[in-house]
Amino acid sequence: MASIAGASISMTSFSSSLKLTTQTSSIGISSLRSVSLPISGRSFPSLRLKKDASRFRVSCAAKPETLDKVCEIVRNQLALAPDAVVNGESKFVALGADSLDTVEIVMGLEEEFGISVEEETAQSIVSVQDAADLIEKLLEKK
Amino acid sequence: MKMRCCFQRSFCSASSSLVPVQLPSPMETHFWYVLPDQVKSVSLLNQYMGLLSPIEKENVLSMPGHQLQKRALLARALVRTTIARYQINGHVDPRSLKFKKNIHGKPEVVWQSEDGWCQPHLHFNISHSSSMIACGVTSNSRIGIDVEEKQRKIKNNILAFARRYFSLHEIEYLSSISDSEVQHQEFIKLWTLKEAYVKALGKGFSAAPFKTFTIHVKTDYKRSFVLAEDLLFEASEIMVESLNDPKSLTSSWQFALLELVGSHYAAICMEKDKSIKVGMKVPVRLTAWKTIPFVEDECVSGTDAVIPIGGLIKL
Repeated sequence: MASIAGASISMTSFSSSLKLTTQTSSIGISSLRSVSLPISGRSFPSLRLKKDASRFRVSCAAKPETLDKVCEIVRNQLALAPDAVVNGESKFVALGADSLDTVEIVMGLEEEFGISVEEETAQSIVSVQDAADLIEKLLEKK
Repeated sequence: MKMRCCFQRSFCSASSSLVPVQLPSPMETHFWYVLPDQVKSVSLLNQYMGLLSPIEKENVLSMPGHQLQKRALLARALVRTTIARYQINGHVDPRSLKFKKNIHGKPEVVWQSEDGWCQPHLHFNISHSSSMIACGVTSNSRIGIDVEEKQRKIKNNILAFARRYFSLHEIEYLSSISDSEVQHQEFIKLWTLKEAYVKALGKGFSAAPFKTFTIHVKTDYKRSFVLAEDLLFEASEIMVESLNDPKSLTSSWQFALLELVGSHYAAICMEKDKSIKVGMKVPVRLTAWKTIPFVEDECVSGTDAVIPIGGLIKL
């Protein structure tokens, strides 16, 4: 609910006619592209479940500690507000990262985990989950 | 000298209009930028929101936090209003423009014309830092731009970063600078030039990883002089050399490096016109506007807001 509430709060400065759209879009996370549910309070809880379900599926690839560490490094690099939501689904671009930020984040991850990421692979990292999964893969190889 | 520039202030009414502009000529870049801090009016932001497609709106609103949403909104509003100014194929309404991404992900305009044979050759590219959003426009020439804050903090050690991502020549250049502040500035300049080149290529990062090309900056001479109505700046000669293919088409790319409003570096990379012989030095003609779409356009090329610091630039 935090992420939805966050989006609602940030929207109060825009006209209220956009509030509906806000709620639509805050639900419309990229990982849920196939889901289209009517917007009503009742549908929120079930969507939330779906969101957690997809997270559960995906986090089998990376340990929670790894994911948390990646989130921390991302937070530091992008100097995000303490209440900004960062989780596996967070895309770097959606957090306000530009290409220089992404490259710096990858360097930070390389240092933290003692790994080396190829340049082409680094640029294909789009989300926090991508980074965490890649780290696990590289750590396994070591 | 400033005859081509005009200061236009048009306050918007319900039917706001954009001041139309003629397409850039060959080897000319139009550079439009907006400063988010200067856009505060909620009704204006709502007006911009009204220009966006449903997907664009969704993307904007999915950003976490007001500042990021505003930045995303202004970026789309800048692109739409800027292209609409050129009134191509009768497109006057920014809302009517359609965009797509090429196979490598570079955004392009989809021009809808009945016959389809006359495709406009307008090229554009956008870039933003947290305090500036810019859009470069050319006719018939691929373009890439990048803007960065001069004071942008680099979390990693600059040389460690350079060794990791830049080419040997560039690492040597940065290593030779003893003053850390100057080194920081040169790093940012180099980064913007490299970014602008990759974006101009439009083939995605993997087509030209940073380590595979070198930006050469020759600063044997630095002069500016007045030629008829124009200001010509020969700040330096900037060239790109592809390490995989040294004789390749790298000589077909032209660079301009600017200092904007004292706070930003902006790099522009554009394709040289095909009619220009290899080896001929032709300046990039530049016209720059600071804009608040629907409210105010100020032509700033030729003022202190735009200072050429690299390349051959004609204002």
